[in-house]
Amino acid sequence: MIEVRGLKKSIHNGTNLVEILRGIDLTIPGGQFAAIMGPSGSGKSTLLGLLAGLDAPTEGEVILDGSPISRMNEDELAEIRGRKLGFVFQSYQLIPMLTALENVLLPFELSGNSHHSGDGRARATELLDSVGLGDRLHHYPVQLSGGEQQRVALARAFMLEPPIVLADEPTGNLDSHNGEHVLDLLLQRHRESRATLVMVTHDPLISARAERRILLRDGLVIEDTLAQEPIAAAEAHL
Amino acid sequence: MNGSINGSVNAPAKRTTGRALSSSVALRIAWREFEAAPAKFIFVIVSVAIGVAALTGVRGFTESFQKTLLGQARTIMAADVSARMFRQPSAKEIAGLNALQGVERTQVTEMVSMASTPSDPIPLLVSLKAVDPSQYPFYGAYKLRPAGTLREELSPERVLVGEDLLIRLHAQIGDSLKLGNSTFRIAGVIEREPDRMNSSMGIGPRVLITRQGLAESGLLQPGSRAGERFLMRLQPGASDIKGLHAQVEKVLPEAQVTDFREANPALTRGLDRASSMLSLICLVAMVLGAIGVAMSMRAHLEQRMDILATMKSIGARSSDILRIYLLQTLLLGLAGGLVGVVAGFGVEWTIPLLAAKLLPIEPSLRLPVRAGLAGLGTGMLTTLLFCLPPLLDIRRIKPNLVLRRQVETQPEFTLAERWQRRRMQWIATAVILIALAGIAAGLTNSLTIAAWFTAALVALLLFITLLARTLLRMLRTALARTRLSLPSAVRHGLSNLYRPGNQSTAVLTALGAGIMLILTVFLMQNAVLRDLQETLGKGLPNIFLIDIATDELDGVASLIAKKPGVHGAMERLPVVAGRLNEVNGTSGDALKQERVPRHLLQSVSLTWSDTLPAGAKVHAGAWWKPGDEGKVAVSEGLARRMHVGVGSTMLFTVQEQRIPVTVSALYANDGQHVFGRSEFILSQRSLAHFPVVWYGAVHLDTAQIPQMQRALFAAYPTVTVINIADLLDTVAGVVHQVTIIVRFLAAFSILSGLVILASSVASTRFRRIREVVVLKTLGARRARVAAVFGVEFTVLGLLAGCVGVIFANLLTFILLHRLDVTFHLQWPAAAAAAAGTALLAVITGWLVSIRILGQRPLEVLREE
Repeated sequence: MIEVRGLKKSIHNGTNLVEILRGIDLTIPGGQFAAIMGPSGSGKSTLLGLLAGLDAPTEGEVILDGSPISRMNEDELAEIRGRKLGFVFQSYQLIPMLTALENVLLPFELSGNSHHSGDGRARATELLDSVGLGDRLHHYPVQLSGGEQQRVALARAFMLEPPIVLADEPTGNLDSHNGEHVLDLLLQRHRESRATLVMVTHDPLISARAERRILLRDGLVIEDTLAQEPIAAAEAHL
Repeated sequence: MNGSINGSVNAPAKRTTGRALSSSVALRIAWREFEAAPAKFIFVIVSVAIGVAALTGVRGFTESFQKTLLGQARTIMAADVSARMFRQPSAKEIAGLNALQGVERTQVTEMVSMASTPSDPIPLLVSLKAVDPSQYPFYGAYKLRPAGTLREELSPERVLVGEDLLIRLHAQIGDSLKLGNSTFRIAGVIEREPDRMNSSMGIGPRVLITRQGLAESGLLQPGSRAGERFLMRLQPGASDIKGLHAQVEKVLPEAQVTDFREANPALTRGLDRASSMLSLICLVAMVLGAIGVAMSMRAHLEQRMDILATMKSIGARSSDILRIYLLQTLLLGLAGGLVGVVAGFGVEWTIPLLAAKLLPIEPSLRLPVRAGLAGLGTGMLTTLLFCLPPLLDIRRIKPNLVLRRQVETQPEFTLAERWQRRRMQWIATAVILIALAGIAAGLTNSLTIAAWFTAALVALLLFITLLARTLLRMLRTALARTRLSLPSAVRHGLSNLYRPGNQSTAVLTALGAGIMLILTVFLMQNAVLRDLQETLGKGLPNIFLIDIATDELDGVASLIAKKPGVHGAMERLPVVAGRLNEVNGTSGDALKQERVPRHLLQSVSLTWSDTLPAGAKVHAGAWWKPGDEGKVAVSEGLARRMHVGVGSTMLFTVQEQRIPVTVSALYANDGQHVFGRSEFILSQRSLAHFPVVWYGAVHLDTAQIPQMQRALFAAYPTVTVINIADLLDTVAGVVHQVTIIVRFLAAFSILSGLVILASSVASTRFRRIREVVVLKTLGARRARVAAVFGVEFTVLGLLAGCVGVIFANLLTFILLHRLDVTFHLQWPAAAAAAAGTALLAVITGWLVSIRILGQRPLEVLREE
């Protein structure tokens, strides 16, 4: 479960203080798929970064599965990220000098396991196989297409079966065909693992598949709707 | 694309507690990164390699070179330590000498005697020198005619003689020579006697005889006036010349003890300075290498920011990432170090082979494992130390970089906050400085030099950073006022200096500090070598004339002045024989208890000069005014031994007349002029009325000397000529070698430094990539982009050049002052350095940008 209380974030830009998030309160129950939407500059990516502990809020608190993370130091946060979070980025963010298999193995190795461990290797291989990359295990990112890279990233995100998966426009860099395929895989894995999935997206078709839609504007939540409610109002704001 | 994630996937791997990235995984990632783009690491490897090569090569070469040079300095005395006394040593003294550990010893007896040949019954006064050819000389070699060694040519029945003896006695090699009760065969002519300058300047031509031959001749009787010299050589491995010197003074309190460093003070001082110079070159090579490494590593990590942020976002701790990059740094240090050690040995071995004629150094063919390991260790340690600051910055990389590249400027922090934020950096800096001082101490074998070097480096770096910042700020202010009137390429180029994250100050500081060090090496090398050439330059006396009567003096001087090939007027030294009676009111037996050499109480050569003699330098007090009476200047070494200083009183007697004097000055001699061996110089009025003999000294072209000797003998048969031209040639040879080697090593260090500085400029390449892409996308032609970069690099280079020139001159001034060498400001070098830095920056900048400029924007982005 993710709880957000009075979350604010400002940054110094030159001589100006820019308020990106101006006070967000949210609770996302375990297993829910929530889509965060909003126009550019509304604070979506910042909110996602704060949920992952990638950045520290100016005010407020983020609580992941009962653990408040906003005052944690970098190493504690790294531990939380490794244990509780999986991340899928718009631009894949694979490590270029590692092969597909090694990229998927990395979270496992970061948790103190050796890559020689048969368990980890078998799981990484099977994850890659399950996203259709069984014949691309030893390819480097540069040798893979965008869709393939994102599927490697997907496998990496689920390597340690985290309770929460955060995705930042995971199909934003892909064509519609590849994007749909990646989304299918992501949602399938979400359903199977019952992980909480929070996804930032611009795409109303994607958000339509979410159980919940959170609409941001100017750093505030202006709408928070569950899937059974009509989406026309939300779309009108986009 | 028909795969699906299904329930068949293995159960998730669980995290273990106490998690950390294993070293093998870290090593694999580090290696993969290296493997993926080795070219990107070339600068780091090159920097380390050059630094280590310079260290290994320069240091190894310096050591063998110094050994050779010190060996040559020893030949001037034929020993490490010499003790001269004017009587046979007592049994107790012999026992004391025998008790000296790790010392070889041989005795040389010098005396004056009469010699004659059967064909010329008129005997000639000769200067006899009895040696044991199985041991003597410990260093250096005699040059004989016909060619041979002392061991082969000298036997109890045979003698070797000076050319002048053959001239005077109309004799030839193979003739008989009568000395005392024995007749010897003249086995050959002495063309060069290595320790001639340190032998007693006896009257008459040289005759070299064995100790057995002297004993059999019956010349040495109890009471005979003979000089005894004990020559000592430390056994290999022992190096405590000072300790031996002190021990010998204790065992032989009456003896005049000198060690080889005093044999030719000017040469020794020159060698000392050259050694300091070489140490400086070593240290500079090390620091330059370190600057290169730090700059390259910083650039490399900056390029890796996205990857580091990604790793953090998927759960890597800073320590995991740090482990990867520490291992990578060590690998790079190791790679660079290995290349450097091989290159260093290449330099050490190749140069003597290439320059065999100029440098009498045998390249050591054994593999110097210790030196190699030391070089490798120093290289790795330096790499690690100087990579620490950029490595520690890894902790500050925010993982949210993966989401947005926001340019968030830092708010103003208080001093305490800054300390808190950069605490680790400060601690790392302290560690670096301590380790740097340690490395410097290891390189120079001196804690003091290391401490000074490190302190000076820190102070200079602080000043340079401050000056760099000030200059950049001033430029920015000027730019703000004039920017609209500037051509757009110039304006853009100048603005680039303030590109966010451009670190102009860091590049300027690195470049400025590098230029400072390079120029300092150049300026120091010039000054030290110029001083060395001046000290041992042309015109130094190479023949000495002994025993000239006052009425002969002007005649001798004018005869010599008329000879071709004479340089300068004849130097004159009056000598009055006297005795020392009192020092500071202490006389007689009480004085013997003091540390006064006893021979002074029996006989001392006094001289006078109302002006500072050539080759002497006042170290304390001041010379008196012409016409003053009752003054004395004492040679510094003797004064120290006798515990006298300026203001002390002394009493000499000459022909039973008392001469009370006050010490007016302490002086040091360069040992190369006619006053070089004087110990007491009095005011003229105190001595001029006593009987006096004169010594003369002059420089003649070597080829003219035999002719002059014959002419002088014809006109003044009693005047003895001592020819040390060959010895001066040895000294000149040493100076020549020092000059070559210092020039070569300085050039090597300068060249290495330039390569490393070029790599610092090149390390800014990454920052330009996106800019080139944007500019080209907006329609900029390559020439325009090149012009913008040209302006930026020129200004950066010029500023760095100016900063470097200012501080190089300052540093050189201080260092030269400490070495007692005159500083001359060299404007052409300064201007060339500033312009050269700009050129270096522009050329390097363009070279590394050519590929970016030539490619299509998206191609570049994809590759980078």
